[in-house]
Amino acid sequence: MVETVLLVGIVASVFVGFNIGGSSTGIAWGPAVGAGLLKKTSAAALMTFFVFLGGATVGRNVMETLSGDIITIEISLAAGVAVLFFIGLGILIANVFGVPVPTSMVTVGAIVGLGLATGTTNFETIGWIVSWWIVTPVLGLWIGAFIGRYIYPELNRRFEIRASDGSLLTLDRTGSVPRPALGPNTTFQELGGTIVVFVIGCYMAFSAGASNVPNAVAPLVSSGALEANPAIIIATVAIGLGGFTIARRTMESVGSELSDIPLLAALIVMITAATITTLLSWAGIPISLVMASVMTIVGLGWGRATRPITAREAIRGETDAELSMGALTAEPEAPVTKIGEDESEEALDAGDLFNPRAIVKYVSMWIIGPSMSTLLAYGFFVVVPFV
Amino acid sequence: MTSRVLVPMDGSEMSEHALEYALEAFPDGEITVLTVVGEPSSMWGAATGLALADDLEEAAQEQTQPIFDRAREIVAEADGDTELETVYALGHPVRAIINRAGDYDTVVVGSHGGSLADNLYVGNVAKKVVHQSPVPVVVVR
Repeated sequence: MVETVLLVGIVASVFVGFNIGGSSTGIAWGPAVGAGLLKKTSAAALMTFFVFLGGATVGRNVMETLSGDIITIEISLAAGVAVLFFIGLGILIANVFGVPVPTSMVTVGAIVGLGLATGTTNFETIGWIVSWWIVTPVLGLWIGAFIGRYIYPELNRRFEIRASDGSLLTLDRTGSVPRPALGPNTTFQELGGTIVVFVIGCYMAFSAGASNVPNAVAPLVSSGALEANPAIIIATVAIGLGGFTIARRTMESVGSELSDIPLLAALIVMITAATITTLLSWAGIPISLVMASVMTIVGLGWGRATRPITAREAIRGETDAELSMGALTAEPEAPVTKIGEDESEEALDAGDLFNPRAIVKYVSMWIIGPSMSTLLAYGFFVVVPFV
Repeated sequence: MTSRVLVPMDGSEMSEHALEYALEAFPDGEITVLTVVGEPSSMWGAATGLALADDLEEAAQEQTQPIFDRAREIVAEADGDTELETVYALGHPVRAIINRAGDYDTVVVGSHGGSLADNLYVGNVAKKVVHQSPVPVVVVR
Protein backbone atom coordinates (compact mmCIF):
# COMPACT_ATOMS: atom_id res chain seq x y z
CA MET A 1 0.00 0.00 0.00
CA VAL A 2 2.71 2.43 1.04
CA GLU A 3 4.69 1.52 -2.06
CA THR A 4 1.69 2.23 -4.27
CA VAL A 5 1.12 5.62 -2.68
CA LEU A 6 4.82 6.43 -2.97
CA LEU A 7 4.77 5.38 -6.61
CA VAL A 8 1.81 7.67 -7.30
CA GLY A 9 3.69 10.41 -5.45
CA ILE A 10 6.79 9.92 -7.57
CA VAL A 11 4.70 10.04 -10.73
CA ALA A 12 3.21 13.32 -9.50
CA SER A 13 6.74 14.57 -8.67
CA VAL A 14 7.94 13.70 -12.14
CA PHE A 15 4.97 15.53 -13.65
CA VAL A 16 5.75 18.65 -11.60
CA GLY A 17 9.49 18.41 -12.34
CA PHE A 18 8.80 17.85 -16.03
CA ASN A 19 6.79 21.06 -16.24
CA ILE A 20 9.34 22.99 -14.18
CA GLY A 21 11.98 21.75 -16.61
CA GLY A 22 9.93 23.09 -19.47
CA SER A 23 9.51 26.57 -18.06
CA SER A 24 12.87 27.13 -16.35
CA THR A 25 14.97 25.79 -19.22
CA GLY A 26 13.27 28.39 -21.38
CA ILE A 27 14.28 31.19 -19.06
CA ALA A 28 17.83 30.00 -18.48
CA TRP A 29 18.69 29.21 -22.08
CA GLY A 30 16.17 31.08 -24.19
CA PRO A 31 18.50 34.05 -24.85
CA ALA A 32 21.54 31.90 -25.65
CA VAL A 33 19.56 29.58 -27.94
CA GLY A 34 17.77 32.55 -29.48
CA ALA A 35 21.11 34.18 -30.27
CA GLY A 36 22.20 30.96 -31.94
CA LEU A 37 25.01 30.28 -29.48
CA LEU A 38 24.09 26.69 -28.80
CA LYS A 39 21.62 24.01 -29.80
CA LYS A 40 18.51 23.20 -27.81
CA THR A 41 19.82 19.74 -27.01
CA SER A 42 23.08 21.11 -25.61
CA ALA A 43 21.07 23.64 -23.62
CA ALA A 44 18.95 20.84 -22.14
CA ALA A 45 22.02 18.81 -21.24
CA LEU A 46 23.70 21.78 -19.54
CA MET A 47 20.41 22.56 -17.82
CA THR A 48 20.16 19.06 -16.35
CA PHE A 49 23.72 19.15 -15.03
CA PHE A 50 23.49 22.57 -13.40
CA VAL A 51 20.01 21.94 -12.02
CA PHE A 52 21.42 18.92 -10.26
CA LEU A 53 24.32 20.98 -8.94
CA GLY A 54 21.97 23.68 -7.66
CA GLY A 55 19.50 21.21 -6.20
CA ALA A 56 22.15 19.13 -4.47
CA THR A 57 23.85 22.13 -2.83
CA VAL A 58 21.89 25.33 -2.19
CA GLY A 59 18.57 23.60 -2.89
CA ARG A 60 18.84 21.51 0.29
CA ASN A 61 18.11 24.60 2.38
CA VAL A 62 14.88 25.22 0.50
CA MET A 63 14.05 21.52 0.77
CA GLU A 64 14.35 21.80 4.56
CA THR A 65 12.02 24.81 4.66
CA LEU A 66 9.40 23.21 2.43
CA SER A 67 9.49 19.78 4.03
CA GLY A 68 9.88 20.77 7.66
CA ASP A 69 9.37 24.42 8.53
CA ILE A 70 6.12 25.61 6.94
CA ILE A 71 3.92 23.34 9.01
CA THR A 72 4.82 22.13 12.47
CA ILE A 73 4.13 18.44 11.74
CA GLU A 74 5.63 16.31 9.02
CA ILE A 75 3.64 16.03 5.79
CA SER A 76 2.31 12.46 5.68
CA LEU A 77 2.97 10.55 2.51
CA ALA A 78 -0.67 10.64 1.40
CA ALA A 79 -0.94 14.36 2.16
CA GLY A 80 2.35 14.95 0.34
CA VAL A 81 0.99 13.24 -2.75
CA ALA A 82 -2.14 15.40 -2.58
CA VAL A 83 -0.03 18.55 -2.19
CA LEU A 84 1.96 17.52 -5.27
CA PHE A 85 -1.27 17.17 -7.22
CA PHE A 86 -2.22 20.72 -6.30
CA ILE A 87 1.20 21.96 -7.36
CA GLY A 88 0.83 20.05 -10.62
CA LEU A 89 -2.66 21.43 -11.15
CA GLY A 90 -1.42 24.99 -10.62
CA ILE A 91 1.38 24.49 -13.11
CA LEU A 92 -0.96 22.89 -15.60
CA ILE A 93 -3.42 25.78 -15.44
CA ALA A 94 -0.61 28.30 -15.72
CA ASN A 95 0.88 26.49 -18.73
CA VAL A 96 -2.48 26.32 -20.47
CA PHE A 97 -3.00 30.06 -20.01
CA GLY A 98 0.63 30.89 -20.79
CA VAL A 99 1.35 32.74 -17.55
CA PRO A 100 4.86 32.55 -16.09
CA VAL A 101 4.57 30.06 -13.27
CA PRO A 102 5.63 31.05 -9.77
CA THR A 103 6.05 27.37 -8.88
CA SER A 104 7.67 28.09 -5.54
CA MET A 105 4.74 30.24 -4.47
CA VAL A 106 2.21 27.64 -5.58
CA THR A 107 4.10 24.98 -3.63
CA VAL A 108 4.21 27.03 -0.44
CA GLY A 109 0.53 27.89 -0.98
CA ALA A 110 -0.49 24.23 -1.18
CA ILE A 111 1.50 23.30 1.93
CA VAL A 112 0.01 26.25 3.82
CA GLY A 113 -3.45 25.02 2.77
CA LEU A 114 -2.63 21.70 4.43
CA GLY A 115 -1.35 23.55 7.49
CA LEU A 116 -4.48 25.68 7.78
CA ALA A 117 -6.73 22.65 7.47
CA THR A 118 -4.85 20.81 10.20
CA GLY A 119 -4.14 23.86 12.36
CA THR A 120 -0.40 23.30 12.11
CA THR A 121 0.72 26.30 10.07
CA ASN A 122 3.95 27.83 11.29
CA PHE A 123 2.95 31.45 10.88
CA GLU A 124 6.36 32.76 11.82
CA THR A 125 7.98 30.96 8.88
CA ILE A 126 5.17 31.96 6.54
CA GLY A 127 5.48 35.60 7.55
CA TRP A 128 9.21 35.44 6.91
CA ILE A 129 8.73 33.83 3.48
CA VAL A 130 5.92 36.13 2.39
CA SER A 131 7.85 39.23 3.43
CA TRP A 132 10.65 38.12 1.12
CA TRP A 133 8.11 37.59 -1.63
CA ILE A 134 7.19 41.23 -1.28
CA VAL A 135 10.77 42.44 -0.97
CA THR A 136 12.09 40.43 -3.93
CA PRO A 137 10.03 41.98 -6.73
CA VAL A 138 10.64 45.43 -5.28
CA LEU A 139 14.34 44.66 -5.11
CA GLY A 140 14.39 43.32 -8.68
CA LEU A 141 12.49 46.36 -9.89
CA TRP A 142 14.79 48.73 -8.04
CA ILE A 143 18.01 47.07 -9.24
CA GLY A 144 16.65 46.96 -12.78
CA ALA A 145 15.55 50.59 -12.68
CA PHE A 146 18.86 51.72 -11.22
CA ILE A 147 20.86 49.89 -13.88
CA GLY A 148 18.48 50.96 -16.64
CA ARG A 149 18.64 54.59 -15.70
CA TYR A 150 22.25 55.12 -14.66
CA ILE A 151 24.45 52.24 -15.79
CA TYR A 152 22.92 50.63 -18.86
CA PRO A 153 23.69 53.41 -21.36
CA GLU A 154 27.36 53.32 -20.34
CA LEU A 155 27.49 49.52 -20.47
CA ASN A 156 25.75 49.57 -23.81
CA ARG A 157 28.38 51.96 -25.16
CA ARG A 158 31.25 49.79 -23.99
CA PHE A 159 29.86 46.40 -24.95
CA GLU A 160 28.08 47.44 -28.05
CA ILE A 161 29.34 44.56 -30.16
CA ARG A 162 27.53 42.06 -28.02
CA ALA A 163 24.21 43.45 -28.99
CA SER A 164 24.87 42.73 -32.68
CA ASP A 165 23.27 39.31 -32.71
CA GLY A 166 23.76 39.05 -36.44
CA SER A 167 27.47 38.67 -35.91
CA LEU A 168 26.98 36.15 -33.14
CA LEU A 169 25.17 33.93 -35.61
CA THR A 170 28.24 34.02 -37.76
CA LEU A 171 30.20 32.72 -34.85
CA ASP A 172 27.77 29.83 -34.49
CA ARG A 173 28.36 28.72 -38.07
CA THR A 174 32.08 28.33 -37.44
CA GLY A 175 31.28 25.19 -35.46
CA SER A 176 30.11 23.97 -32.10
CA VAL A 177 33.43 24.93 -30.51
CA PRO A 178 34.16 28.64 -30.95
CA ARG A 179 37.59 28.99 -32.52
CA PRO A 180 39.89 31.97 -32.87
CA ALA A 181 39.19 31.78 -36.58
CA LEU A 182 35.94 33.66 -36.18
CA GLY A 183 33.37 34.93 -38.61
CA PRO A 184 34.14 38.01 -40.70
CA ASN A 185 32.55 40.45 -38.23
CA THR A 186 33.51 38.63 -35.07
CA THR A 187 36.00 40.17 -32.72
CA PHE A 188 37.60 38.85 -29.58
CA GLN A 189 35.26 41.04 -27.60
CA GLU A 190 32.40 39.18 -29.15
CA LEU A 191 33.97 35.85 -28.34
CA GLY A 192 34.17 37.09 -24.77
CA GLY A 193 30.50 37.99 -24.97
CA THR A 194 29.65 34.51 -26.16
CA ILE A 195 31.46 32.95 -23.24
CA VAL A 196 29.70 35.30 -20.85
CA VAL A 197 26.28 34.30 -22.22
CA PHE A 198 27.22 30.69 -21.79
CA VAL A 199 28.46 31.08 -18.21
CA ILE A 200 25.42 33.13 -17.20
CA GLY A 201 23.11 30.47 -18.66
CA CYS A 202 24.83 27.90 -16.42
CA TYR A 203 24.45 30.22 -13.41
CA MET A 204 20.77 30.67 -14.19
CA ALA A 205 20.34 26.89 -14.49
CA PHE A 206 22.07 26.47 -11.13
CA SER A 207 19.72 28.92 -9.44
CA ALA A 208 16.74 27.25 -11.14
CA GLY A 209 17.88 23.96 -9.64
CA ALA A 210 18.35 25.50 -6.20
CA SER A 211 14.86 26.99 -6.14
CA ASN A 212 12.91 24.43 -8.15
CA VAL A 213 14.24 20.95 -7.33
CA PRO A 214 12.65 21.10 -3.85
CA ASN A 215 9.25 22.04 -5.31
CA ALA A 216 8.99 18.74 -7.11
CA VAL A 217 9.94 16.43 -4.23
CA ALA A 218 9.83 18.19 -0.84
CA PRO A 219 6.26 17.00 -0.06
CA LEU A 220 7.48 13.41 -0.34
CA VAL A 221 10.71 13.96 1.57
CA SER A 222 8.90 15.39 4.59
CA SER A 223 7.43 12.07 5.71
CA GLY A 224 10.71 10.27 5.23
CA ALA A 225 9.15 8.06 2.55
CA LEU A 226 11.81 9.35 0.20
CA GLU A 227 15.35 10.25 1.22
CA ALA A 228 16.66 13.66 0.18
CA ASN A 229 19.37 12.31 -2.14
CA PRO A 230 17.26 10.02 -4.34
CA ALA A 231 14.60 12.76 -4.28
CA ILE A 232 17.06 15.29 -5.73
CA ILE A 233 18.01 12.78 -8.44
CA ILE A 234 14.36 12.09 -9.31
CA ALA A 235 13.66 15.81 -9.53
CA THR A 236 16.74 16.38 -11.68
CA VAL A 237 15.79 13.60 -14.08
CA ALA A 238 12.23 14.96 -14.34
CA ILE A 239 13.41 18.53 -14.91
CA GLY A 240 15.94 17.26 -17.45
CA LEU A 241 13.17 15.34 -19.21
CA GLY A 242 11.16 18.54 -19.45
CA GLY A 243 14.27 20.36 -20.65
CA PHE A 244 14.81 17.91 -23.50
CA THR A 245 11.15 17.81 -24.57
CA ILE A 246 8.65 20.58 -23.85
CA ALA A 247 11.40 23.16 -23.29
CA ARG A 248 11.92 23.19 -27.06
CA ARG A 249 8.73 25.17 -27.20
CA THR A 250 9.34 27.35 -24.12
CA MET A 251 12.88 28.15 -25.24
CA GLU A 252 11.29 29.54 -28.37
CA SER A 253 8.47 31.42 -26.66
CA VAL A 254 10.56 32.76 -23.78
CA GLY A 255 13.50 33.16 -26.12
CA SER A 256 11.45 35.25 -28.51
CA GLU A 257 10.07 37.29 -25.64
CA LEU A 258 13.57 37.84 -24.26
CA SER A 259 15.05 38.37 -27.70
CA ASP A 260 12.91 41.49 -27.91
CA ILE A 261 15.31 42.98 -25.42
CA PRO A 262 18.98 43.48 -26.29
CA LEU A 263 21.28 40.62 -25.35
CA LEU A 264 23.22 42.83 -22.94
CA ALA A 265 20.00 43.65 -21.10
CA ALA A 266 19.03 39.97 -21.03
CA LEU A 267 22.39 39.19 -19.44
CA ILE A 268 21.90 41.87 -16.78
CA VAL A 269 18.46 40.45 -16.05
CA MET A 270 19.82 36.92 -15.78
CA ILE A 271 22.70 37.85 -13.49
CA THR A 272 20.38 39.82 -11.22
CA ALA A 273 17.64 37.20 -11.13
CA ALA A 274 20.02 34.27 -10.66
CA THR A 275 21.84 36.05 -7.85
CA ILE A 276 18.64 37.00 -6.01
CA THR A 277 17.31 33.46 -6.41
CA THR A 278 20.52 31.76 -5.34
CA LEU A 279 20.99 33.97 -2.27
CA LEU A 280 17.41 33.54 -1.08
CA SER A 281 17.50 29.79 -1.74
CA TRP A 282 20.68 29.64 0.27
CA ALA A 283 18.79 31.30 3.12
CA GLY A 284 16.12 28.60 2.71
CA ILE A 285 13.48 30.88 1.19
CA PRO A 286 11.42 29.39 -1.64
CA ILE A 287 11.52 31.99 -4.37
CA SER A 288 10.45 32.15 -7.98
CA LEU A 289 13.19 32.65 -10.55
CA VAL A 290 10.59 33.86 -13.03
CA MET A 291 9.38 36.55 -10.69
CA ALA A 292 12.87 37.90 -10.05
CA SER A 293 13.54 37.87 -13.80
CA VAL A 294 10.39 39.66 -14.87
CA MET A 295 10.63 42.37 -12.25
CA THR A 296 14.21 43.09 -13.28
CA ILE A 297 13.09 43.32 -16.91
CA VAL A 298 10.29 45.73 -16.03
CA GLY A 299 12.71 47.72 -13.87
CA LEU A 300 15.30 48.01 -16.64
CA GLY A 301 12.76 49.17 -19.19
CA TRP A 302 10.96 51.51 -16.84
CA GLY A 303 14.20 52.99 -15.53
CA ARG A 304 15.37 53.67 -19.05
CA ALA A 305 12.02 54.87 -20.34
CA THR A 306 11.65 57.49 -17.63
CA ARG A 307 15.16 58.78 -18.12
CA PRO A 308 15.64 62.06 -19.94
CA ILE A 309 17.36 61.57 -23.29
CA THR A 310 20.84 63.03 -23.46
CA ALA A 311 22.50 64.64 -26.44
CA ARG A 312 24.95 61.79 -26.73
CA GLU A 313 22.13 59.32 -27.14
CA ALA A 314 20.57 61.43 -29.81
CA ILE A 315 23.84 61.23 -31.72
CA ARG A 316 24.07 57.50 -31.14
CA GLY A 317 20.57 57.11 -32.47
CA GLU A 318 21.58 58.69 -35.73
CA THR A 319 24.66 56.57 -36.27
CA ASP A 320 22.71 53.41 -35.56
CA ALA A 321 20.06 54.44 -38.00
CA GLU A 322 22.66 54.59 -40.73
CA LEU A 323 24.00 51.18 -39.86
CA SER A 324 20.85 49.15 -39.63
CA MET A 325 18.21 51.13 -41.46
CA GLY A 326 19.74 50.49 -44.87
CA ALA A 327 16.88 48.40 -46.19
CA LEU A 328 14.14 50.50 -44.70
CA THR A 329 15.41 53.89 -45.82
CA ALA A 330 15.06 52.63 -49.39
CA GLU A 331 11.50 53.96 -49.37
CA PRO A 332 11.73 57.24 -47.51
CA GLU A 333 8.62 58.58 -49.19
CA ALA A 334 6.43 56.07 -47.40
CA PRO A 335 3.78 57.98 -45.47
CA VAL A 336 4.49 56.04 -42.32
CA THR A 337 7.76 57.87 -41.82
CA LYS A 338 6.14 61.25 -42.03
CA ILE A 339 3.35 60.44 -39.67
CA GLY A 340 5.69 58.63 -37.35
CA GLU A 341 7.79 61.76 -37.04
CA ASP A 342 4.82 63.94 -36.27
CA GLU A 343 3.80 61.43 -33.71
CA SER A 344 7.12 61.43 -31.91
CA GLU A 345 7.07 65.15 -31.38
CA GLU A 346 3.75 65.16 -29.59
CA ALA A 347 2.84 61.79 -28.24
CA LEU A 348 5.62 59.22 -28.46
CA ASP A 349 6.51 58.80 -24.82
CA ALA A 350 8.44 55.74 -23.69
CA GLY A 351 6.77 56.10 -20.31
CA ASP A 352 3.55 54.87 -21.95
CA LEU A 353 5.17 51.46 -22.22
CA PHE A 354 4.94 50.97 -18.47
CA ASN A 355 1.42 51.84 -17.55
CA PRO A 356 1.26 51.43 -13.74
CA ARG A 357 -2.18 49.86 -13.97
CA ALA A 358 -0.97 47.21 -16.39
CA ILE A 359 1.92 46.40 -14.05
CA VAL A 360 -0.38 46.17 -11.05
CA LYS A 361 -2.69 43.89 -13.01
CA TYR A 362 0.28 41.75 -13.96
CA VAL A 363 1.56 41.44 -10.40
CA SER A 364 -1.93 40.64 -9.14
CA MET A 365 -1.95 37.58 -11.38
CA TRP A 366 0.94 36.28 -9.33
CA ILE A 367 -1.03 36.63 -6.15
CA ILE A 368 -3.91 34.64 -7.63
CA GLY A 369 -1.80 31.49 -8.25
CA PRO A 370 -0.60 30.83 -4.70
CA SER A 371 -3.91 32.02 -3.21
CA MET A 372 -5.80 29.55 -5.35
CA SER A 373 -3.48 26.71 -4.40
CA THR A 374 -3.85 27.59 -0.71
CA LEU A 375 -7.64 27.70 -0.94
CA LEU A 376 -7.94 24.52 -2.99
CA ALA A 377 -5.57 22.60 -0.74
CA TYR A 378 -7.32 23.95 2.37
CA GLY A 379 -10.74 22.92 1.08
CA PHE A 380 -9.47 19.52 0.07
CA PHE A 381 -7.78 18.75 3.38
CA VAL A 382 -10.80 19.95 5.35
CA VAL A 383 -13.07 17.60 3.43
CA VAL A 384 -10.56 14.74 3.31
CA PRO A 385 -8.54 14.82 6.55
CA PHE A 386 -5.30 12.93 6.03
CA VAL A 387 -3.30 13.70 9.12
CA MET B 1 -18.51 65.46 -45.40
CA THR B 2 -16.23 62.45 -45.38
CA SER B 3 -16.15 60.46 -42.22
CA ARG B 4 -12.93 59.86 -40.40
CA VAL B 5 -12.50 56.22 -39.40
CA LEU B 6 -9.96 54.78 -36.97
CA VAL B 7 -9.03 51.13 -37.52
CA PRO B 8 -6.74 49.69 -34.84
CA MET B 9 -4.71 46.80 -36.27
CA ASP B 10 -2.52 44.31 -34.44
CA GLY B 11 -1.61 42.17 -37.43
CA SER B 12 -4.23 39.53 -36.60
CA GLU B 13 -6.63 38.20 -39.19
CA MET B 14 -9.53 39.68 -37.28
CA SER B 15 -8.04 43.16 -37.49
CA GLU B 16 -7.60 42.69 -41.23
CA HIS B 17 -11.31 41.91 -41.47
CA ALA B 18 -11.94 45.15 -39.59
CA LEU B 19 -10.05 47.12 -42.24
CA GLU B 20 -11.82 45.28 -45.06
CA TYR B 21 -15.14 46.13 -43.47
CA ALA B 22 -14.16 49.76 -42.94
CA LEU B 23 -13.23 50.08 -46.63
CA GLU B 24 -16.58 48.61 -47.63
CA ALA B 25 -18.74 50.56 -45.21
CA PHE B 26 -16.97 53.91 -45.62
CA PRO B 27 -15.96 53.99 -49.29
CA ASP B 28 -15.34 57.74 -49.16
CA GLY B 29 -13.98 57.79 -45.64
CA GLU B 30 -10.57 58.83 -44.47
CA ILE B 31 -9.20 55.71 -42.88
CA THR B 32 -6.43 55.77 -40.29
CA VAL B 33 -4.77 52.55 -39.25
CA LEU B 34 -3.45 52.58 -35.69
CA THR B 35 -0.92 50.02 -34.53
CA VAL B 36 0.27 49.74 -30.95
CA VAL B 37 3.70 48.33 -30.14
CA GLY B 38 5.35 47.44 -26.85
CA GLU B 39 2.23 45.91 -25.36
CA PRO B 40 2.27 44.30 -21.92
CA SER B 41 3.23 40.64 -22.36
CA SER B 42 4.13 37.64 -20.25
CA MET B 43 7.67 38.85 -19.54
CA TRP B 44 7.41 42.47 -20.64
CA GLY B 45 9.98 41.78 -23.35
CA ALA B 46 8.27 43.89 -26.01
CA ALA B 47 7.92 46.97 -23.79
CA THR B 48 11.42 46.76 -22.31
CA GLY B 49 12.94 46.03 -25.69
CA LEU B 50 11.53 49.28 -27.04
CA ALA B 51 12.49 51.23 -23.93
CA LEU B 52 16.08 50.05 -24.27
CA ALA B 53 16.29 50.58 -28.02
CA ASP B 54 18.90 53.09 -29.13
CA ASP B 55 16.29 54.82 -31.20
CA LEU B 56 12.79 54.27 -29.93
CA GLU B 57 11.12 55.72 -32.98
CA GLU B 58 13.12 53.62 -35.39
CA ALA B 59 12.54 50.44 -33.40
CA ALA B 60 8.82 51.11 -33.21
CA GLN B 61 8.61 51.81 -36.94
CA GLU B 62 10.42 48.60 -37.69
CA GLN B 63 7.76 46.68 -35.78
CA THR B 64 4.81 48.47 -37.32
CA GLN B 65 6.06 48.34 -40.90
CA PRO B 66 4.79 44.83 -41.73
CA ILE B 67 1.32 45.65 -40.39
CA PHE B 68 1.12 48.92 -42.33
CA ASP B 69 2.38 47.18 -45.47
CA ARG B 70 -0.32 44.57 -45.09
CA ALA B 71 -2.91 47.30 -44.55
CA ARG B 72 -1.92 48.98 -47.82
CA GLU B 73 -2.15 45.61 -49.56
CA ILE B 74 -5.69 45.22 -48.30
CA VAL B 75 -6.57 48.68 -49.55
CA ALA B 76 -5.05 47.89 -52.94
CA GLU B 77 -7.02 44.64 -53.12
CA ALA B 78 -10.26 46.37 -52.23
CA ASP B 79 -10.26 49.35 -54.59
CA GLY B 80 -7.01 51.21 -54.19
CA ASP B 81 -8.68 54.63 -54.05
CA THR B 82 -8.92 55.13 -50.34
CA GLU B 83 -6.20 57.21 -48.84
CA LEU B 84 -4.74 55.40 -45.90
CA GLU B 85 -3.09 57.11 -42.99
CA THR B 86 -0.99 55.20 -40.52
CA VAL B 87 -0.25 56.02 -36.90
CA TYR B 88 1.47 54.09 -34.18
CA ALA B 89 1.49 54.30 -30.42
CA LEU B 90 3.25 52.67 -27.49
CA GLY B 91 2.06 50.61 -24.56
CA HIS B 92 -1.47 49.57 -23.78
CA PRO B 93 -3.67 49.22 -26.90
CA VAL B 94 -6.91 50.23 -25.19
CA ARG B 95 -5.45 53.47 -23.84
CA ALA B 96 -3.85 54.26 -27.17
CA ILE B 97 -7.13 53.73 -29.03
CA ILE B 98 -9.27 55.64 -26.53
CA ASN B 99 -6.84 58.56 -26.43
CA ARG B 100 -7.24 59.03 -30.17
CA ALA B 101 -10.82 57.95 -30.74
CA GLY B 102 -12.16 61.45 -30.06
CA ASP B 103 -10.53 62.75 -33.25
CA TYR B 104 -12.53 60.33 -35.40
CA ASP B 105 -16.16 59.73 -36.25
CA THR B 106 -16.08 55.96 -35.95
CA VAL B 107 -13.78 53.26 -34.61
CA VAL B 108 -13.79 49.88 -36.39
CA VAL B 109 -12.18 47.04 -34.44
CA GLY B 110 -11.87 43.29 -34.86
CA SER B 111 -13.72 41.33 -32.20
CA HIS B 112 -10.56 39.74 -30.85
CA GLY B 113 -6.89 39.68 -31.69
CA GLY B 114 -4.14 37.57 -30.27
CA SER B 115 -3.97 34.44 -28.19
CA LEU B 116 -5.53 33.62 -24.87
CA ALA B 117 -2.35 34.71 -23.12
CA ASP B 118 -2.45 38.12 -24.81
CA ASN B 119 -6.00 38.57 -23.62
CA LEU B 120 -4.80 37.87 -20.11
CA TYR B 121 -2.26 40.67 -20.10
CA VAL B 122 -4.07 43.18 -22.24
CA GLY B 123 -7.69 42.17 -21.84
CA ASN B 124 -10.29 42.05 -24.56
CA VAL B 125 -9.44 45.19 -26.48
CA ALA B 126 -12.66 45.35 -28.48
CA LYS B 127 -14.82 45.02 -25.39
CA LYS B 128 -12.95 47.72 -23.51
CA VAL B 129 -12.97 50.07 -26.49
CA VAL B 130 -16.74 49.63 -26.84
CA HIS B 131 -17.15 50.54 -23.18
CA GLN B 132 -14.82 53.53 -23.11
CA SER B 133 -14.91 55.06 -26.58
CA PRO B 134 -16.36 58.57 -26.90
CA VAL B 135 -17.41 57.81 -30.51
CA PRO B 136 -19.44 54.97 -32.06
CA VAL B 137 -17.57 51.68 -32.34
CA VAL B 138 -18.14 48.97 -34.94
CA VAL B 139 -17.01 45.51 -33.84
CA VAL B 140 -16.27 43.26 -36.80
CA ARG B 141 -16.66 39.49 -36.45
